[in-house]
Amino acid sequence: MSSLDWAVLVVYLVGIAAFGLWAGRGNRRIDDFFLAGRQMRWWAVGLSVMATQISAITFIGTTGQAYTDGMRFLVVYFGLPFAMVILCLTVVPFFYRARVFTAYEYLERRFDARTRTLTSLLFLLSRGLSVGVTLYAPSLVLSVLLGWGEAETILLMGVSTIVYVIYGGNRSVIWTDVVQMGIIWFGIFVCLAVAIRQLPEGVGLRDALALAQLNGKLEVIDTAPSLTQPYTLWSGLIGGLFLMLAYFGCDQSQVQRYLSGSSLTQSRLSLLFNAFLKVPMQFLILLTGVLVFVFYHFHAPPLLWNRAELARLEREAPAAELAEIRTRFSAALQGRRESAARFLHGRDPQVAQAYFGHGRQLDEARKEAVRLLEHTRGEAGYGDANYIFPTYILTQLPSGLAGLVIAVIFAAAMSTLSGEFNSLATATMVDFYRRFVRSDGGDAHELLLSRVFTGFWGGFACLIALQAGRLGSAIEVVNRFGSYFYGSILGVFALAVLTARASARGAFYGLLIGMFSVWAVASSTKIHFLWYNVVGAVTVFVSGLVITAFWPQEEAAGPRELP
Amino acid sequence: MEDQDDPVPVFGSWPRIYAAVIVSALVVMGLIAWFSAHRY
Repeated sequence: MSSLDWAVLVVYLVGIAAFGLWAGRGNRRIDDFFLAGRQMRWWAVGLSVMATQISAITFIGTTGQAYTDGMRFLVVYFGLPFAMVILCLTVVPFFYRARVFTAYEYLERRFDARTRTLTSLLFLLSRGLSVGVTLYAPSLVLSVLLGWGEAETILLMGVSTIVYVIYGGNRSVIWTDVVQMGIIWFGIFVCLAVAIRQLPEGVGLRDALALAQLNGKLEVIDTAPSLTQPYTLWSGLIGGLFLMLAYFGCDQSQVQRYLSGSSLTQSRLSLLFNAFLKVPMQFLILLTGVLVFVFYHFHAPPLLWNRAELARLEREAPAAELAEIRTRFSAALQGRRESAARFLHGRDPQVAQAYFGHGRQLDEARKEAVRLLEHTRGEAGYGDANYIFPTYILTQLPSGLAGLVIAVIFAAAMSTLSGEFNSLATATMVDFYRRFVRSDGGDAHELLLSRVFTGFWGGFACLIALQAGRLGSAIEVVNRFGSYFYGSILGVFALAVLTARASARGAFYGLLIGMFSVWAVASSTKIHFLWYNVVGAVTVFVSGLVITAFWPQEEAAGPRELP
Repeated sequence: MEDQDDPVPVFGSWPRIYAAVIVSALVVMGLIAWFSAHRY
């Protein structure tokens, strides 16, 4: 990075921390600290909801996925607008009028304490560990590409976020999210403009799209009636709908954002704002990845995108074997570049066949390089899609803009981390400390402890991120565990707000049955993960009603909390 | 502040804004399908 890039990045980091501290002043009670005094306007909450969802790895991983796999991933968001409407009609009024701090608090009023405690505990377990991954994944990529130490990158990102969230709570989270989301939107348009501008002379946007289409990168709508195939229209519309209902309706990191609205109208509008903008935003991010794919037809990509692993390959692999792979790689690149140019000239199908031939040779040479690397390091499983976009930024963007887009990656990571630290502290304080330890501590005591819990979860995330390289497969297990209960928790909320009849016993055992059924489906079938939330939610809802009907509760459940 | 004190901006009522969200989602999906299928 040039000194101008460094200056941009430093201005961003210092500026956002200072702004977060300024925006978060004046907290006197935990209502202020956790819900920004319930005074926020819809556009600020809406941008915060959006910023919390888009993590750094979403930003760099999605562009990388578009490069390797095309735009099919977009269908995951197709269910989002419908989910937002359903949430505005169902859980949002219940949460808002119940004046709760956490979504799980509502479940105690509707069912019982154990259902609340179990769901909140599941949230703390999964989100607490996944926030470490949220911090680790971009830090790893940036440390490799910028030549920084992994620990220093993790601490820079983590500590600068912890500082303003500890001081300012949710008000800092929301206002910094607003700024960060502005930077992210600006960065998306800059990347798109630069990718289009850097196409070689004689190759326009239409040509770039033609080349992408030839490679199937523009295919979004797949109507195959399959439960195992990833990213079909149906898994996007139905599975995506349930995923978004679970994430925005039952995950405290999102619920807490819209509970900060100054009225029910403001809370609803913040979600509808996302319903309008989320799909177009993901489309633009994926399109950027596709244009980077076209860009590397006319500029030489590296043999491997992970610079550190490429250096290891050059250091440790047999030189003659690597040289032979490089020769084949360069020849295939040259052939693909020439045939691509010829194809764009006349759209000739025979030229397209030659182009595909060179593409296959290129893939084969790269696979050989990966095989050689895996053999050299004695470990299988190399993947580098997350390195594609940051490599493009650092090697192709003009001075100043590269620093800005690296700041965008930091902004995406920090906006997610801040919301998650704040929501983890809220669930710990409200669902556990206030519920089981002390409920009459007074404002000063509760505010102090809320800050301690925020610091604890921030420190925990840094610790997990610092150990993530060693924890590897354990983290994958935890992430998979998270996907088992996401839909099941949605089923419990559906029982709470859609039926007056469901009992606390039905909800609690229904939740356990739902989690078990998702585990069974995931471990014994090849059904795509987008369907897991459908399985979990439907199983909990049906089994909860069956248990209520056939195993009546001795004590009646508490009165239903009507809005 | 209660929600009845807070009017629905631009669209005037909740059914209209929900309808606008759904129509906009369908239009966006239609445009994406066209973008995907169009021959460049």
